[in-house]
Formats: sequence, C-alpha cells, structure tokens
Amino acid sequence: MKRADVTVALILIGLAAFVLLEAGKLSFGSMRVPRTAFFPVILATLLLILSLIFLGQALRGAPTGRGIDRIEAEGWFRIGATLVTLVGFALALERLGFLLSTLLLMVLLLRAIEPQAWPKVIAVALVTSLVAYAIFGWLLGIPLPAGVLGI
Amino acid sequence: MDVFSNVALGFSVALTPANLLFCFIGSVVGTLVGVLPGLGPVGAVAFLLSLTFKMEPATAIIMLAGIYYGAMYGGSTTSILVNIPGETASVVTCLDGYRMARQGRAGAALGISAFGSFIAGTFGVIGLMFLAPPLGRAALRFGPPEYFALTLTGLTLVAYLTQGSPIKALIMTILGLLAGVVGMDPISGEERFTYGSLTLRDGFGLVPVAMGLFGMTEILENLAILATQSVYETKIKGLLPNRKDWKDSAWPIARGSALGFFLGILPGPGPVIASFVSYALEKRLSRHPEKFGTGVIEGVAGPESANNSATAGSFIPLLSLGIPTSAIMALFMGALMIHGIQPGPLFISKYPDLFWGFIASMYIGNVMLLVLNLPLIGLWVRLLKTPYVILFPLILLFCLIGVYSLNSNVSEIVIMLAFGILGFFLRRAGFEGAPFILAMVLGPVMETSLRQSLLISRGSFGIFVTRPICAVLMGLTLLFMLWPMIWKRKTAGKDRSPSAQENASS
Repeated sequence: MKRADVTVALILIGLAAFVLLEAGKLSFGSMRVPRTAFFPVILATLLLILSLIFLGQALRGAPTGRGIDRIEAEGWFRIGATLVTLVGFALALERLGFLLSTLLLMVLLLRAIEPQAWPKVIAVALVTSLVAYAIFGWLLGIPLPAGVLGI
Repeated sequence: MDVFSNVALGFSVALTPANLLFCFIGSVVGTLVGVLPGLGPVGAVAFLLSLTFKMEPATAIIMLAGIYYGAMYGGSTTSILVNIPGETASVVTCLDGYRMARQGRAGAALGISAFGSFIAGTFGVIGLMFLAPPLGRAALRFGPPEYFALTLTGLTLVAYLTQGSPIKALIMTILGLLAGVVGMDPISGEERFTYGSLTLRDGFGLVPVAMGLFGMTEILENLAILATQSVYETKIKGLLPNRKDWKDSAWPIARGSALGFFLGILPGPGPVIASFVSYALEKRLSRHPEKFGTGVIEGVAGPESANNSATAGSFIPLLSLGIPTSAIMALFMGALMIHGIQPGPLFISKYPDLFWGFIASMYIGNVMLLVLNLPLIGLWVRLLKTPYVILFPLILLFCLIGVYSLNSNVSEIVIMLAFGILGFFLRRAGFEGAPFILAMVLGPVMETSLRQSLLISRGSFGIFVTRPICAVLMGLTLLFMLWPMIWKRKTAGKDRSPSAQENASS
C-alpha cells in the first residue's frame, strides 16, 4: 500500500503544479474582482497542500487504505482485454457503423471475459446487437452511425 | 393552497397514463439494478438520464426517482437470498437476512423488508412533503455568501462521512471541483483548460463521468475477481411475516423510518449510513444483542426501513436549496437542468405541478413496488442466475450506447472510458468516486457564489462570518474538519469503547 500511496501523492503534486502553471496563463483578477483563474488557483493550492500532507502520511507508513484483494494475472488479462475492446469500439463506431461495431464488441467481450463456445458467442452477439439497434435506433429514435453497411 | 389541494394536484399529475407507465418502468428497472450486481443505482440513473431528454420534465424525474427507490428494494433481495448486496445500502441486511434465509425463513425476511421499506418510504415522502416547502421559502433569503457556505459545508460533510480516509476524500473533492472548472467560466464565459476541444467547452459531461466512475469502475472491479455466485436454493414460502415477526419489527421499522429520514437529509451517502446506524441502534436497544448476526428479524427490519426513508430525505436539500448531497442527487440536478429547470428555493413555487406530481408518484411507486416485489421474487432470483459473462458485456454495451446517445459524440465515450480507468485505479488506492462527482456538480455553484460574494464585500472574506446563517454554516464546517483530531485525542489514552469500535467498523 505504501508504494501505491506515494505514487498517487506524487502524481497529485504534479497535477497541482500543472494546474497552477496553466492557470498562470489566465487572468487572476484580484480579491476585489476575482476573475477566471481565481478559483482554479485556490483549488490547485489546496490540492498541493493536501497532497503534501498525504505524501508525508504515506512516507511515515500511516495506514490510510483498506486492505484490497490482489488481482491475479488472469484478472489483469480480463481487464486489459475488456478495455482494449472498449477503446476499439470507440474508434470503430463511426467508421464501421453501429450494427457492425456492436456485433464485434459483443463477440470480443464474450470471448475476453471468459471464453464461451463460438456458436453461443455468435448467437448472443447477433441477438443483442439487433435488439439494441431496434430499441435505440427505431424505438427511441437515437441517431446511430450507419457506417460501411449504410443502415 | 393548503397541503391537501397540493397533494390532489400532485396525484392529478402522477396518475396520467404516461407518468404511471414511467413510474412503473422506473420501479422495475430500479429493482432490476438493485438485484443485479455490477450496476449500481448511480450508473443506472446516469444511463437512463440520456433517454429522458425527450420526455416531459415531470415524467423524467418520476422515472429516475423510481429507479432510485426501486434499487433500494431490489438490493435487499440479493442480500437476503445470496448474501451479495446488490448495492451498498443493503450491505447490513446480509448480516441477519442471509442467516434467516439459511434457517428457511427467507420469506419472512423478504416480506418484512418489503413492508418495512414501504412503511418507511411512505413516512419519508410525508416528511419530504412537509419539510421541503418551508425550507425552500427560508432559502429565498439566501444570497451568494450563504450559498458558498452551504456548498462548502455540504462538501466537507460528504468528505468526512465517506468511508475510508478523510484526506483521500478531501483530495477527491478538490479533484472534482477542478474537473468542474474545465469549460467556460460561469461568469465571464472565457474558456479554461479546454485545449481547443469542442466537447470540453461545456465542461466534462455529468453522464459520461458518472458512468465511468460508477458503471465502468464497478464492472472492472468485478472482472478483476470473477466470483461465481451460487444462489442459495430454498423454497420461499410464506412471504407474510407472522404475528411475532410483526411484533418484533414494529419498533425497529418506526425507529428506522425516523432515523433514516433525518440522516438522509444530511450530505453524504444517506441510505448507506442510515442502514448501518439503524443496525447499530437496534442492537444496542435489543434485549438480546448477542443474537444479532444469527438471523433476527429486527436486524433486517430496521436497516431496510432506514435506507428507504433516507432515500426520500435526501431529496430535501436538492429540491428546496438546490444543493445535491450525494452522487445520485447530483444526477437528479442534472436531469432537471437538462430541461432548463433550476432546482432551488424557487423550485416548489415555480413548478408546483412538478414537485407535487413527483411526491405523489413516490407514493404510487412505493405501492407498486410492494405489489410488484413480493410476487416477483421468484423472477428476480432467476435473473440473478444470469451468468456474469453475459451480463457484463450487456451492461458495458448499455453504458456505451447511453453515453453516445447524449450528443452522438464519440468523445463522450472516450471521456467515460478515461474516467472508468481512472476510477478503477483510484478506488484500488482507496479513493472513492462519490465526493468527486458531487464536487464536480457543485463546483460552478461554489465558484460563482464565492466570486459574487467577494464582489459584494469588496474582497473581504469577513462576509462569510458576519452574516448569521453563514457564520453558523462556517462554524459547522470548521467543527467537522477539526472533529477527527478532537476525537483522536479523546480516545487515544483510553481503551476503545464499544461505541468507538462500532463507529470504526461501520
């Protein structure tokens, strides 16, 4: 836990410094007439102070977190594969269109989380993407990207 | 108009076919969300928010409220039958509810939790009806300094009431406020931290951020350790609690209702805290505290009532002051603002049909849930057996479509994914998402009121202590910030008393 806390504290300090730098480019105004950068500067300063306190606590090894379960390699694989699939969906959506991307998304997720038999994967993926298209595209009238299929 | 004509107006709104239908849909979806693991009420409301754009505002808020209290009902079902709380407010129900199920008394446990929820929910709605309007009228005299003090107090309270370390919650609050800064300056309209992105000009959207932090984070956590759930096979018979059950539960339900309602008004995860406090209270008052945890009905009746009346209580600050006090209330605020309605002191007088229609729909919703839940428990149990491998892809798909449908903008999906990943790692490091989302919504209110106050006072911070309401709120904030230190000093030397242990464990 200690190493994780120190890492988080350092990232937060970096973030606070970044916000202070960026806010420097905006007009601060004054106490009488506070302007755009006023609030962000206050917040970043507070963040800096809190992160330093947190860093101090972490270095002293004060228990701050809850005990968490270790994630096994398989768990990381499931998470990684799912995230890659989701990012892929975001990239593919407007190019391939809703129907095709959703179909691919479902196929990949059904294989990534816990590999299912192919016939089941295809069946579930087909049904869900068609039903989702019917509900969101037709019933609720949400404009969904058509993509290469043109529908 | 007196209360009765108002209530009549409310029912005339809530009983229109469309509103009845969506109240029903909301309650069912809410129960579903409560039953199924992997998607909590916050994620579900965020998702359905995008579908309410085209609805009448009354219909939208009626449906979303149905999801919220429906989830409270549904969550208890899984706690009792499977020992898996569908959402955090029913964690304590596992303690005695599941033991009761193991003893073959699942029916009585489910029954008393449904009736307790119904009684407490009704009590909460009545409280909301009588308390919100006068509070709203009082708040009419609030100026920017009062609003600043109010948001500050709210955020501090939430930070200290959130489970885990206060400093982490405070950091999350500041991060949320910073996220709220992105976009246009609420006073001058200048752009800040947008880096040329059109999507970010209006700031981070509430829906993608909430779906990321709550929906996706939860799924990712579940993916990390893919638990296989086993539903305890039991014949559920006799859903009606017997005479002794009623006698044992009457006071816990009454106390839970009152306690939950007042804890719900306070900032923070009201229903969660209410259920824990109620359990501790019942154990303290009981003549046989040692039996708690072995399947006593009081341990189910009290907390289940408390979390439902807290649900109603938590609407009070939002509807009368315009200040959301939890992540889910922040989403309700978003839902109203999408329709151009600003919740706040003027809300009740300006939109009486909306407020009273909403109140009436909560009565109706509570009845629906009672009627719906008891006979349908078998169906919910069967749904619970849906394997995660099918369930999680479906929830993820819903999240993706929900976020995309907001503005047909892929950038919103990217924002959701980013906050999902961020939320996952932050939660593993012990940082919770609730203070963040609340701070993000309150950020613009806080900034505007702070800057306006300073304009009024010509740069003097004295304005926050010379006005009486402000002074009281500021005093409260200070007290809360210093409380952990005082508490530590007081208890440092002594042996830990039982009450301190209970506080620590809840």
